[in-house]
Formats: sequence, C-alpha cells, structure tokens
Amino acid sequence: MERDAFIARLAAARPGPPLPDVSSLPAVHTELRPGDELYARFVHELTAVNGTCELRPAAAVSAAVVAALGDARRVALGADLGDHQAPVEGALAAAGIAAIAYEEAVADRAVLGALEATVTGCALAVAATGSIVISAAAGRAAALIAPLHVCVVPAEHLVGGLAEALRILPPGSLTAFQSGPSRTADIEKVLILGMHGPGATHVIVAT
Amino acid sequence: MSGDHLTGTTFEGRAAEQLAKPFQRKAIPAAVDGTVAHSRALFATGDRERLRELGRDIRAHAVANLPEYVAAFTDAAEANGTRVHFAGDATEANAIVAGICRDAGAQLIVKSKSMLTEEIELNPALEAAGFEVVETDLGEYVVQIANDRPSHIIGPIIHKTRGEVRELFSAIAGRDLGDDPRALTAFAREQLRDVFLRADVGITGGNFAVAESGSVVLVTNEGNARLATSLPRVHIALVGVERLLPRTADLSVLIPLLVASGTGQQLTTYLSIASGPRREGEPDGPDEMHVVLVDGGRSAILGTGYQDILNCIRCGACQNVCPVYRQVGGHAYGWVYGGPIGAVLTPLFKPSAEGLEVAHASSLCAACDDVCPVKIPLHDLLVDLRRDRVGRRIPGRFERLAYGAWSRAWSSPLLYRLSGRVGIASLRLLARGGVVRRGLGPLRRWTRDRDLLLPGRRRR
Amino acid sequence: MAATDRPDGEASAGRLPVTLFGTCLGDLMTPDTVADASRVLTACGCDVAAPRGATCCGQPAFNSGFDDAARRVARRTLRALARTAGPVVVPSGSCGAMMRLHWRELFRGDRDEAAARAVSARVVEWSAFVAERELPPLAWSGRVGYHDACHGLRELRVRDAPRTLLAAVAGLELVEIGSAERCCGFGGSFAVRYPDVSVAMADSKLADVAAAAVDVLVSGDGGCLLHLGGRLSRTGSPVRTLHLASLLAEALP
Ligand code: SF4
Repeated sequence: MERDAFIARLAAARPGPPLPDVSSLPAVHTELRPGDELYARFVHELTAVNGTCELRPAAAVSAAVVAALGDARRVALGADLGDHQAPVEGALAAAGIAAIAYEEAVADRAVLGALEATVTGCALAVAATGSIVISAAAGRAAALIAPLHVCVVPAEHLVGGLAEALRILPPGSLTAFQSGPSRTADIEKVLILGMHGPGATHVIVAT
Repeated sequence: MSGDHLTGTTFEGRAAEQLAKPFQRKAIPAAVDGTVAHSRALFATGDRERLRELGRDIRAHAVANLPEYVAAFTDAAEANGTRVHFAGDATEANAIVAGICRDAGAQLIVKSKSMLTEEIELNPALEAAGFEVVETDLGEYVVQIANDRPSHIIGPIIHKTRGEVRELFSAIAGRDLGDDPRALTAFAREQLRDVFLRADVGITGGNFAVAESGSVVLVTNEGNARLATSLPRVHIALVGVERLLPRTADLSVLIPLLVASGTGQQLTTYLSIASGPRREGEPDGPDEMHVVLVDGGRSAILGTGYQDILNCIRCGACQNVCPVYRQVGGHAYGWVYGGPIGAVLTPLFKPSAEGLEVAHASSLCAACDDVCPVKIPLHDLLVDLRRDRVGRRIPGRFERLAYGAWSRAWSSPLLYRLSGRVGIASLRLLARGGVVRRGLGPLRRWTRDRDLLLPGRRRR
Repeated sequence: MAATDRPDGEASAGRLPVTLFGTCLGDLMTPDTVADASRVLTACGCDVAAPRGATCCGQPAFNSGFDDAARRVARRTLRALARTAGPVVVPSGSCGAMMRLHWRELFRGDRDEAAARAVSARVVEWSAFVAERELPPLAWSGRVGYHDACHGLRELRVRDAPRTLLAAVAGLELVEIGSAERCCGFGGSFAVRYPDVSVAMADSKLADVAAAAVDVLVSGDGGCLLHLGGRLSRTGSPVRTLHLASLLAEALP
C-alpha cells in the first residue's frame, strides 16, 4: 500500500489524552530507589539474574579478564575496551590466549560459531536493572555469540536507571541492553541459562 | 496449519477438548503463578497506579494520533537507512515479506517470536513461496516442528510436557535425548545456532516502534531476536501499526510495565533498540533493515467504541489471571489470542458468528482489568461486544425469545412473584431432600455436574 | 421476604431507615438469607423495609448484551426503589455493582436517567454497610473461609468489610483460602452457557477450600454460593456454604 493511503485509514480515531510528561517518573522498579548506591544496586540486580560481577582498580582489570576466561581459548575481543584495550590484549597474549578481534571473527561464520568466549567493553551500565548496554559499534552479536561473555565496565559508565540510560543512548544502528545470561523457561518452566546467548555473563567494573 | 479454528466450532466444544487434557490444567497455573507473584512484588515496590495511568495515556495518545506518528516514524526510519513498507492486510504483508526475501536471493529465514506473524500466518505463506523458515524462540521452535499453535502470548508451549518435547526433538536427532529440559534445550540451541549462522534473512516482530527515532524495540530473554538482527544479511521487522510510541523516553514507562506484567522480571535479559542497517565502522549487522507496518484490521477499530483495545502491549498478564483461560488454555479461543485479550480481539478481527461468540468466554470477573498495565477496560469491552452480537441478531432464537419472555414477566411484580412460585414449585417436584440432582430442559446444563439447592434447605 | 413493608419515609424513632433489596436470586432461591440480612440490619439499629414491587436489577440480560430486556426489568426495580428512603442495601456484590455502576450506563439518555442516578448513589453492598455500624457482641464457633465474589471485590472494592465482620465474631476462626479472590466460575448465565468450564473453575477453587480445611465457606454473593454449594453437594463434600448475612445472623445473641 502507498504510504499516504495507509496513513489516511488511520485518521478515524477518537481523540485521545495529551501526551504525558515523563521527565520525572513515579517510583518504579527500573529506577533507583532513595538511598540506593549505584554499584551495590548494580551488583544486586545482576546477581539476581545469574550474572556475576567484581569491582577492580583499572590496573587489575586485565588480570581479572584472564581469570574470568578460565579455560576458554577461542576468544574474540571487541574493539570497544577503550583504555583497557591494549593492556587486555597484552595480558591475554601473555596468558597464551590467542584472542582475535571480533571484527575478524564475524567475517568467518565457522570461526564465529566456534568461539568459546567474547570480551567487550560497554557504552553504559544500568544499576537499577543490572544491565550492560552495548552499542552496535562494538558488534551486535559480540556479547551473545559465545557461551561466555566477559564485559569491562568503566565505573563512570554506570548510570542509575532505565530512564537516564534512554536519555543518553550511545549512537549506532543497534543499542542492546543485556541483563545477565540468556535464559529460557519454555519447557515446563524449568529455568535454563544460555539458550541462544551466553550461559555466563561476567562483569568487571573498573574504578 | 491455519491460525483460525473457529469455523464450524463453538467455544464450548473447543473448551471441552482442552479440559480433557489433564496436564494443561495443572501446567497453566504452574507456569503463570510465578510470573503473577513476581509481577505483584515488583509493582509493589513502586507507584503502580500512577505508572499504569502514564502507560495508558501514552498508549491512548499514540493510538489516537497514528497518522502523525506513522509519518514521523517513517521519516526517521528512512533517515536511518531503514525501508518502511505499508501492509493493509495479511496478504499484502506476506507478499511484501516474500518480495524482500526474493530480492535478497534468500533461501533460509530465521524468525523470532511474533504474535503478529501468527495473525497474518506468515510462515505458511513464506513456505508456499519456497523459503525455509525456522522459528528460533525455543517454544516457537517446538510449536513449529509439532505443527501446533502457541497457547500463550509469552509462553507458547505451556500446554506441552517435557515428554512431548523429548519425542519431537528425539525424532529430529535420530536418538533418544531423554526428558531433562537442560538436554533438550541444549539440543535446540545447537540446531538453531547452525541455522542462525547460515540464515539469509532474520524476521522479528516489534514490541514497540519509536516515532522520534525510527527504531524498533525488541524484548526477549533468549537472545534470538538479537541474533536475528545481527547475523543475517537482511532484517525484517513486522510491527502492528498501533505499536507506535512517540518518544524514546516513553520506553521508561512502557518497558517496566510490559516486562513486569509479562514475565515478572525487573528487565528481560535482552532489550534491543534497532535503528537501521549496519553503519560505517560497525563490525556486524544486516545490510538492509525493513520495517513492515501492518494494519490488518486495526484501522477499522479506530474511532469505534473498541479503540482502547489497540492500546494493548501484548504482555499476557490478563491471560495469567483469567480463571477461564487457566482452565481451558489459549487454543479454546479458536484464534491466535487466548484469555481476555483474545476474547476481545477475536470478535473484532473475526466477526463471524463463531468469532463473536468468543466474547462470552469470560465470567466477567474483571480480574483482567485489575492487572492490565495500560488499564484497558476489558470487562466493559466484553459486555459491549455481547451487545453488538445481540444487535446483529447472532444469538439463537431460543435465547432471544427467552430474554424477551423473561423481561415481560419480570417487569411485572405480579408475574415475577407468580413465575417464581411456579418455578420453585415445579423444581420441588424434581427434588429430593431439597436438592435437584437431575434437572429437565435448560436446567440440565446446571445439574449435569452440580446439584441445585432449593430454598429452605439449609446445609448444615 | 421477611422485612416488613413500611409506608415510605416513616421510621421508628432513633433508628436509621434502610431499604433492603433482596435481589431476585435471594427472593426466589434463598429467602432465608434475605431474612437473615434483615435481622442483622435490625440488630445494628436499622429500620428495615423491603421495596414494594422490586424484582431484579437486570444484570443477567445486561451481561449477555440484551440491554432492552435488562432495562425493562431494571426499570421496574428502579422505580420501586425510587419510592423508598435511606440507603439501598444489597446483600450481593454483583447486583450491587450492577445498580451502583451499570444502571447509569443502562439508563443513559432514558426518561428514568435522573432516577437511576439518584438510586445508584444510594446503593451500598450489605457487608460494607454493616461493617460501618455497631453490632451487638457476636459469637459462633467454627473454621471459616471467605470467598470474595468478583463484582463486590473488583467493582465495588469491598474487600476488608466482610473480613472485619468475621474477625469480630468470637469463637470463629477465619482462614484465608488460597485463591479467595479468583472467580468461582458462576458468572451468571456463564454457569449454564459453559457448564463444563464453570464447574472446572469451581473445582479449582474448591481444591483450595479443601486444602484450607474449613467447616464453612462464606461469601457475600448468593450466586457464587448456589454454584459452589451445588458442586460441594454433588461431590459429597462436608463443607457447608453460608452467606455472610446468615452466618452473622446465627452469631447474633
Ligand atoms: S489487554 Fe492488557 S493485560 Fe492483556 S495482553 Fe494486552 S496489555 Fe496485557
């Protein structure tokens, strides 16, 4: 159908209410509660959805990444680690993990499908929902293609609630909020992690 | 497989079929009670009423001003490099999607869960056009290989046992997989991962479309929608035209309402905001993004007394608390939606005698009104639909005559008393010890599985 | 019905004149309940009268979409009530909701619209009314579960009143049943339109009642009780059903 004809059919509506102001919200579970401390709330929410989290000084981040990767050897690295990019690359090499760039992995479906872990940064993290927010600039599938996802979150990227995150969304063709590992409960309501995305999500908050 | 099981059937008949499945009657409460409890607990931490009012007003405003927001959405989406298509009805929507797939030289299509595509029966249309379509939500995958239909908006296979899933999956695997949901899920993941890596086109629905940014918003837990928008060359999102939101900020109200009502979670695992094809410098993503806005009967509801139903965000909360749905499940409603939302939508989208009957598939207990996150007056809409049904003279001769005779008699106090006396006296003839165990005529429908206790018989 | 007809507007000195509308179901199927409702009202200082010439609120037809039939019957009741004084007390949340909320809609633009508004505004559900009054000391022994009838609960928002009343009865043990607020499956004509579904709904509720091990299942709506009581009787359950008014009447000194 042509656009104009399609739109013309929508004109018969009864008038509705004015668009309400949402610049300040009533109390809601996706925002901070009075007295919430950012990191504590983030850990609480992320843990509740089966993610794991640790707080590390910047200098200790690369060691934490290596430790989090455990036995994983086929590892892809996002290009969004910022200040941590070079140290993490170095630490992985030193640990004998031949990580490839995510950009390279995604070019070969066989390599992509065989990944054991990915390491990315993140544009934002949301305390009230335990979410990390990854922009397409880092790779749309980077956070969910492998069974393990390790995410480095600079502490200053942590925001309070969903509303604030939506106000400062990173640019890119896709913005992805991710709260803990992938899950399903479709079969008799039994919770299973790692359906399509990772079965484990580990977040390292760098101070 | 057709989404419409209405023709030539009645709700009573379909319900009887479902009531005969003992697993389902236990499975539904088992599946939804946790969600209901979690949802309640989450909302209890905030100002639920105020949030619902905001949600309702945003939705009602958007639905009332669709021409403006569709235009704005289209302009913004096109500026992002997305192509927007306009489908008046199901046939057109299916043809548009098939056309995009053909132009892309596609063979294999992955899909994430979308009730709209159930409505328009997209899969059979694409299969008829020669494409291979694979559903990737675990539940929908099971539905697809079982040639079944989803029975709940959020949990498509709450009517299926793990034993049934085991049989289906083992047949594909060529070996017995056992009935541990873990093993079964792992098997599906493996199958589907391979499909994802090879797929040419990813089809998703859209929980919302944001006018100001031209984005499509997707909410899932498994991550399949995210993969469907990441790996294939082409992403097609089918969105009901009513699902527009004016602003990105509106998501800060509608997402908590949708997610807490639908799954009882703080936030779903994945919330994706898709705003066009892969851009310069991005390592992955589709070369093309298409949005198909589908009317499919929605515009005909605008301006009628039923406009509020278009505010629905398909959270499924009304199903979870519906005492009728909890007994009979989604399939008894005869079309794609079960529960109160189905009892309202089915008569509107399928206004045959069979479709209109579904408005009666409710005891009017109003539990749905209390949970609907956008405060749709479902109870009142159901009564309105029943009134329309009478206006169209759909009820049988017997029902019409009965109400006519009743109203004549009971608008006269004398006849009221007389009919009451005669009625009770004749019931006494059928009774033993003040109890009628087997009634005659229409009373038989009462006494088939219940006694009728007559006045004066105190049960002590 | 048990209440005495009294000339309009006249009440005994010091007592509150109220009109008790027993409802058709009450009049025909459970006149004892209406008499009990009246006794309790009298015990809490009311001068009770029955509306002369009232029949039914019209709900069965209204909920099935037969507005003309509903209006025709409701008009008779409306006019009868318009001639009475004081609050119109209704021992059924369902009929109460019909009269208080839906009559306005049913009579919109009708010649009786003003009367409908005036009467609607006087309608009070029985337990909500009694809970606001002073009752003599009550005593009754047994384990009781309360079933919230849907329309009283969700349309008239009567939730605490019946519980407050039951809690005030010495010797009565009030047990919350699991799904107290879930519909029992009566639903007026729904019960005979879809008997299988209706009974399946009753069974789901009655399973919770059995789990709560109560002696008596109490509710504020005769319809639910007719349905649940009928199912209990058919399945040979020892659990009794009782309207709240009847229980309180039994508990009066
Ligand atoms: S009608 Fe309301 S409760 Fe039901 S699915 Fe739609 S939004 Fe959810």
